[in-house]
Amino acid sequence: MIEFYHVSKQYVKNQFALNDINLSIEKGEFIFLTGSSGAGKTTLLKLIFKEQHPTKGQILIDSVNINLIPNKKLYKLRRSIGIVFQDFKLLSKRTIHENVAIPLIIRGERKSTLDKQVHSALSLVGLTHRRNYIPEHVSGGEQQRVAIARAIVGNPKIIIADEPTGNLDTELSIEILKIFERINSNGITMIIATHDKNLIKIFPKRVIRLEKGRLISDWSKEELL
Amino acid sequence: MNLLKNAIINATKNILRNKLINLLCLGIISFTLLIYGIFTYISTNLNIITKEFSKSIEAIFYFKDNVDIQEIEHLLEKIRQNLLVEHVTFNSKKQAEINFSQQFPELKYILSEFNESPFPSSMEIRFKPEYDLDTKINSILDEIEKMNIIDSKQINLEWAKKIMTIKKFITIVGLFLSSILLFVSIFIIYNVIKLNILYRKDEIHILKLVGATNWYIKFPFIIEGALLGLFGSIMAGIILYGLLKLFPSYANFIFNLIKGVITVEVIPASLFIRLIILGTGIGLFSSLFSTQHFLKN
Repeated sequence: MIEFYHVSKQYVKNQFALNDINLSIEKGEFIFLTGSSGAGKTTLLKLIFKEQHPTKGQILIDSVNINLIPNKKLYKLRRSIGIVFQDFKLLSKRTIHENVAIPLIIRGERKSTLDKQVHSALSLVGLTHRRNYIPEHVSGGEQQRVAIARAIVGNPKIIIADEPTGNLDTELSIEILKIFERINSNGITMIIATHDKNLIKIFPKRVIRLEKGRLISDWSKEELL
Repeated sequence: MNLLKNAIINATKNILRNKLINLLCLGIISFTLLIYGIFTYISTNLNIITKEFSKSIEAIFYFKDNVDIQEIEHLLEKIRQNLLVEHVTFNSKKQAEINFSQQFPELKYILSEFNESPFPSSMEIRFKPEYDLDTKINSILDEIEKMNIIDSKQINLEWAKKIMTIKKFITIVGLFLSSILLFVSIFIIYNVIKLNILYRKDEIHILKLVGATNWYIKFPFIIEGALLGLFGSIMAGIILYGLLKLFPSYANFIFNLIKGVITVEVIPASLFIRLIILGTGIGLFSSLFSTQHFLKN
């Protein structure tokens, strides 16, 4: 479903953020992308939702070369991907309900449909009781759950999370990972960038390790076990 | 429909969020349109006055003595064919003598001392009422005057010509000032929208990542510019109305000048509509320009 063919990315000449990456991710897979800081995890994720463009190589999603998608049509790709950030990226002056509703508002969904979908997304992350709060009035873990609800509300095929537990303690991190597992069980492909080795041990999944822009290992769940 | 509603709500929120800068922006747009409105108003009134007085432009040309009658007839025929001319009358020397005798019978005896009529032959041209001094009439009059069979002319509308000159001067000054202020307004709205785009940078980033189209992101800013222009023009219209109503000395100047001749509305509806269209247009243009520049794909 997601395929990388000899993908390289250079921000500065002669310095590779990603170097000749070949990768294939099947539909419905759960993947941990790991590696130390500066290994290229965020760059790899940004290439998937086309916030960055590869210097070399091709990226295919559902057999479509995303390099060839014009900027005007980029929204279609973005609507098929839910993104979760380490710093949540919530709109501070809008309520939790409004934040989660954004992907539906931009599609011009009717209020009744929108309310229903926001309610089920908030139910999945256990936050229906906080729907009228603004983000700064809830905890970090809850803010991350809001970001997850926003990522899933538009029924994406893929969810990308960049260090989603980076600002959370172990207990909350496990809680977030359990939510991701629940989402994944509905057939949504999950790609989680993390450098938290404990989480990878607790949740044995396919692990792709990057170092200095190179893919150095790709272990399946079975291999890890 | 939902998208339009959201755009209007977001635009209004933006305006209310940055009150000070938007107030400044509104002030500049209003001032620009006010200057434009004042000059247009004065110019329109002067135009009406001149038109009213020059509804039937008449000119009398006196021929030199001993001019061949065929030459005169040829000229008369040529003038009659002109589309601007309503009619031309020729007065021979004899006819002029008869006219004088009828108008001043007590002075009739003077004429007996002359062997022939002392009056020159002349032609009287009346132009069609739909044409005023702004049209080609002026050049026709000048052309006839330059002919070697013409001795002199008499036009009782010299003052109307002067008003036209003043009107032209006012129009040019008004256009010049309005153009400068127009550029200032465009520059200010352009930068206000730029500031709002920068202020909402994070939100725009999030919207892009969740799949908002470029138009969805741009639309509220464009509406914002249009609203600023619209409010600015309404303010200008109200101020202009207030100025003409509340300053009797100014209004008296205008009304004394035209008193008893024509009635002019304090602020014509067409001018108010023109201000609104112009203001909204300036806002739209500036915000479109700004979003094109600062919200690239």
